[in-house]
Amino acid sequence: MKQSDFDTLTPWLRLLLQQRRRLWVGILLMAMTVGSAVGLLTVSGWFITATALTGLLLAAGIAATLDIYVPGAGIRAFALSRTVSRYLERLYNHDTVLRLLADLRTTAFDRLTTLSGAHLTRLRAAEWLNRLTSDIDTLDNLYLRLFAPPLVSALGVALVAGLIALFLPLTGLVIGLWLAVLLVALTWGLARRSRRASAELSERLEQLRVHTVEHLQGLSELTAFGTLNHHQLELQLRTQALEQRQSEVVRHIAHANALGTFGIQSAVVMTLLATLLAFQSELISGPVAVMLPLAVMALGEAFALLPKAFGHWGGTVAAARRLNDESAPERLVSGTRSAPQKPHLHLDRVEVRYPAHRHWPALTDFTLDLPYGVRVGLVGPSGIGKSTVAHLVSGLLHPTGGRVTASEQPLATIDRSAWLARVGYMTQQTDLFNESVASNLLLARPEASDDELWQVLYKVGLDSLVRELPGQLETPVGEGGRQFSGGEARRLTLARLLLKDPDIVILDEPFSGLDTLTADGIRAVLEDWLPGRTLLAIGHDSSALPKVEHLVTMPVAGPLPDSR
Amino acid sequence: MATIDTSDTRSDVTPRRWLDAQRRHDGGAGRRALLAGASNGLFILLQMALIAWLVQSAVVQYAEPATLIWPALALIPVLLGRSLTQAWQETAGQQASQRVRSTVREQLLRRWAELGPVRLAGSSPAGLASQMVEQVEALDGYYARFLPQMWICVLVPLAILLLVFSLDWLAALFLLLAAPLIPLFMALVGMGAEKLNQQHFQLVQRLAGHFTDRIRGMTTLHLFGQTRSATGQVAAAADQYRRLNLRTLRVAFLSSAVLEFFASVAIAVLAIYIGFGLLGYIDWGPATELTLFTGLLILLLAPEFFQPLRTLAQHYHDRAAALGAAEQLMRLLASASEAPVERKATAAAEGNAPAVDLRGVTFGHKGRNPVCTDLNLTIERGELLALAGPSGSGKSTLLQLMAGFLQPDAGQVTIFGQPAGEQPMAWMDQRPCLIQGTWAENLRLTAPGASIEQMQDALRKTGLESLLNTQPDGLDTPLGEGGRGLSGGQARRLALARVFLAPAQLVLLDEPTTGLDAVSEAHIIQGLQQLIAEGRTLVVATHHPQLLEASSRTVRLELPRPVSEEPGHETE
Repeated sequence: MKQSDFDTLTPWLRLLLQQRRRLWVGILLMAMTVGSAVGLLTVSGWFITATALTGLLLAAGIAATLDIYVPGAGIRAFALSRTVSRYLERLYNHDTVLRLLADLRTTAFDRLTTLSGAHLTRLRAAEWLNRLTSDIDTLDNLYLRLFAPPLVSALGVALVAGLIALFLPLTGLVIGLWLAVLLVALTWGLARRSRRASAELSERLEQLRVHTVEHLQGLSELTAFGTLNHHQLELQLRTQALEQRQSEVVRHIAHANALGTFGIQSAVVMTLLATLLAFQSELISGPVAVMLPLAVMALGEAFALLPKAFGHWGGTVAAARRLNDESAPERLVSGTRSAPQKPHLHLDRVEVRYPAHRHWPALTDFTLDLPYGVRVGLVGPSGIGKSTVAHLVSGLLHPTGGRVTASEQPLATIDRSAWLARVGYMTQQTDLFNESVASNLLLARPEASDDELWQVLYKVGLDSLVRELPGQLETPVGEGGRQFSGGEARRLTLARLLLKDPDIVILDEPFSGLDTLTADGIRAVLEDWLPGRTLLAIGHDSSALPKVEHLVTMPVAGPLPDSR
Repeated sequence: MATIDTSDTRSDVTPRRWLDAQRRHDGGAGRRALLAGASNGLFILLQMALIAWLVQSAVVQYAEPATLIWPALALIPVLLGRSLTQAWQETAGQQASQRVRSTVREQLLRRWAELGPVRLAGSSPAGLASQMVEQVEALDGYYARFLPQMWICVLVPLAILLLVFSLDWLAALFLLLAAPLIPLFMALVGMGAEKLNQQHFQLVQRLAGHFTDRIRGMTTLHLFGQTRSATGQVAAAADQYRRLNLRTLRVAFLSSAVLEFFASVAIAVLAIYIGFGLLGYIDWGPATELTLFTGLLILLLAPEFFQPLRTLAQHYHDRAAALGAAEQLMRLLASASEAPVERKATAAAEGNAPAVDLRGVTFGHKGRNPVCTDLNLTIERGELLALAGPSGSGKSTLLQLMAGFLQPDAGQVTIFGQPAGEQPMAWMDQRPCLIQGTWAENLRLTAPGASIEQMQDALRKTGLESLLNTQPDGLDTPLGEGGRGLSGGQARRLALARVFLAPAQLVLLDEPTTGLDAVSEAHIIQGLQQLIAEGRTLVVATHHPQLLEASSRTVRLELPRPVSEEPGHETE
C-alpha cells in the first residue's frame, strides 16, 4: 500500500528534484531557523544558570569570574538570526513553491495536450476543471508541507541528540532514539491512520457538489411533486457523511498533536532528570545540566508542523493519483502518412463508445460519404450524435468500430497535425481566449497581417464594432469572450475560420445565437467562400444551415434500439 | 432547527457581524475550545514552574535525588493534561465549525426552497452549488481555529504576565512594554495578511483563469495546431504570477517578521537582565531578589507569552477567507424570508372544487409588461386544457403560477380548493432533470415509494420498456448524467413515466413535445391520452396540432398583453 503511494508521488517528486539546489537552500534556511531557536533558548538557559551559580559564590564572598560577553553576544546573535533566517526562509521557500507551481501547471498542461478530444469533450467539464486546478494546488505544497519539514525535524533531532551526547553519550542516544520514533509516528504513522478518511474528503466534497447541482436542476420537479423535503434530507445525509470524514481527519491530527507535545515534553523531562543526576554525580556542570533539556524543548517548534501536513497525506496522494490518471486513458496516436490532396472522406459503419458510458454508444452503424467539394448538411435532434460525427471527420476522435478513410487511407494513419491543418472546424461551443481580438484571430494563421484581420472581420460584419472598441484589434475579449454577445463571439470564431482557409469545413450549429438578418448575411459570405471546399454542416434542422447539396437526417439508425 | 434570522435583514449587517451571529449555532463547542485552550495555558505554567523548581533544588540546593522524585512524578499528569487539552481544543473547535457549517447549509437549502425554481433560474446551478461546497467550507478555519485563538491570545498572556509580575515586577514590565505592542502587531499582521489575501486572490484568480481558459479551449488549440505555443504561454503566465506575488509576499512576511523579532528580543533582553541580576550587577528594584527558580521560570515563560499571538497570526488567513465567503452567503441568506413552502404529500382533493381556479389574477415580471391582468380561468376536473400562443406570451408563467412557483401580484390561484403550492402535482417541462444514478433512482426522485412493478408499468406506458430490456442490470443500470446516452425524446418519456408514478391529480406540462423525434412524440401524446383516461386533469402549454385537437379547450395567449379566452375545440 505504502509502496504504491510513493509510486504515485514519484513523477511529482521527480519534478520537485529538478530544483535540487533551491530545495537544499530552503531546507538549510529552515534548519537555521530551528537551530537559532534551539541556540537562543539553550544559551539563555546556560547563561542564567551560570550567573546564578556565580552570583551565589560572589555572595558567599568567594572570588569567581564569569565571561558575560560571549554568551550575551550569543543570545543577541541568535535572537537576530532567528528572525532573519525565518524571514528569508519564508520568502525563499515561497519563491520555490511558486516556481514549482509554474512547473506543475506547465507539465500538467503539456500532458493534457496529448489527450484525445473524446476525453476532453465528454468529461463533465466544470467539475473536472475544478478538480484539476485544486489537485495541482494540493501538489504544489508537496515540498513545503511533506518534503521539507520531516527532513528539518530529523536534522534538529540529530543536532540536539548530538549536543547531549557530547556530554552524556548514553542519554544522547536514548533521547535521539525516542525522538526518532516520535518523528516516525507523527509522519508515517499518522499518514497511515488518516490515509483513507483524508483520501475520501475531496471525493465526497465533489459528490456533494454533484448532488447539489442536481437538487437545483430538479427544483421544479421536486417542488411540484412534493418530494423536496425528501430530497433535502438525502442531501443532508450526504453532508453528514462528509462531515464525519472531516472530523475523523481532525481527530487523527489532534491526537497526533497531543502525542507530539507529550513526546517532546517528556523527552525534556527525561533529559532534565538525567542531567540533574549527572550534575549531582559531578559529571557535568550546572549550566550544562539546564542547557540540554532546553535544547530539546526548542525542537517542539519543528515538530509542530508535522501532524497537519501528514494528516492530509491521503488527500495529497489521491490528488496525485487523479492527475496521473488524467494522462493515462487512450492517447490519440498520430499517424505518419502525409495528408492526401483533395481528400475523399468516407465514414464506413462507424461506432463510437465513450469510455465513461460504455453501455451507451454515442453513434452506431453510421455511414457517410463526403467526396471532395461536396456540401452536406446533417440534421437531427440534439444528443443524437451529430457532433460525434463532426469529431470523427475532424480527426479529433477515432471510432471504436468501423473506419474513417480519406481517399482510401485510414484517417488514423495520417499525420494528425498535417490533417488538422487542412480542417476548419467550428465547434458547437464558442471558444475564445481571454486575450486580444487579434491574438484570438491569429490562432488560425499567426503570420496574418492586420489588413487580413480587418478583412475577415468585415466579412462577418464585426469590423465596425471592433473599430469602436477602445483598443481596436488589441482589445481583450474577456473570459470566454464575455465582452462580446453570444452572436458576436460566434461570428468572431467564424472569422477565425475564414482566416485559416481550410480544405474541409465543419460547421456545428453555425448560426446559433445569430438573428436572421445576420445569419443571412453570413450565408451569403459563405456562399462565396465555400466553393472548392468540402462542407459538413450540422444543425437541428435545415433552417439552421447554410445552403447544402445533400441533407442527411439523423437518426439514420438511432443510437439505441427504439421501441418501434 | 435554525431559522433565517430576520434581524439580519438590516442594511448595516457586515460580514463580520453575520459571522458572529452564526456563532450561536455551535452548541457551546466554541466555548469548550476556549476553555480547553485556557487550561492548556495553565498546564504550561505548571510544567514550567515544576521544571524551574527541580532545577533550583538540584542545582542550587543540592537536594537528595530522592526528594526530586515527587515533583518529577507530578510532571507526568501535568504533561498529560497539557497534551490532552491541546487535542481537546482542536476537536472542540472542529465541532463548533461543523455545527455552524451544517446549520448554514440547512439555511441555504431552506432559502433555495423558499425562492423556488423560477426565482433561482437566473443563477447557475454550478455557481449556487459552489456556495454550498466551497463557501461553506471556507468558514471552517474561522470557527475551528481563529475565534477560540483570539480569546486565548488575550487570556494566556495575561495569566503569564500576572505570574511574572508576582515573581519580578521589572521583568513583567518588559513583557508589559511589549503588550501594548500586541494590538499593533495584530494590526500589522492583519494588514499584511489582508493585503496579501486580496492581491493574492486576484492574482490566483487571474492565473487560474488563464490556465482554465486554455484547458477549456483545448479542442480549439488542437484544431489550430497551437498546443505547443499555448504551453509556453501557460509557463510564462505562471512565471509572471510568481514575480508579482513575491513582491507582495516580501511586504506581507515583514509584518510577521516584526512579531518574530519582538518575541526573540524579549527573550534575549530578559535572559540578559536576569543574568546580570543574578550576578548582582543590578542592585536596585526586584533584581536583587532573583533566584535561579524565578529567573529560569521567567525565561521559560517568555516564549509562551508570545506563542498564542504567533499562532493567531498563522490563522489570520482563515478569517479573511471566512469574511470573503460570508459576504457572498449573507447576500442570499439575509434577504427577507417568507414562510417556507411545504407540501403535504398526502393532501387530498377537497369536495367538488374545480381542479384549477384563477380569480382576478394579475402578474408581471419586474420591469416588463404584465403577463396577465385580472385573469379569470376555471379548469374542471378531467379536462385537458391547452395553452397556446407565441413564445413570450406567458404560457410558462401561467403554469408556474398554477404550480405555486410564483405568487400572483393580485388575485388568487386555487388548486382543488386550496391555495396553489400547498399540494403536490405532477410537473414536466422541456428539460427534465435527470440525475447521475440508476433508472430506479431517477424515477424515485419524485416518487420515493415506487415499487419495481410500478416503475416497470410506468415505463411500459411511455414506450421505454424495450429500451429498459436492453439494460444489463434493468432498473439498476446507471443512466448517463444529464441524459447523455438517452436521446432528448427518451429523456422526456422518462419524465412522463414520473408523472404516471405520481398520485397527483393535476398534471402541468410545458411544451412536452417540442423538438422531439416522431417516435417519442407519438409516445408522449399517447401517454397524455392515457392520463386523461385515468381521470387526471391536464394543463398543457403547446403548439402541437394533435394536442390542440385532443384538448377539451384552448386558451390563446397574446403578445404583449393577454388575455382573451376563446372557447376552443370541444372535442367531446
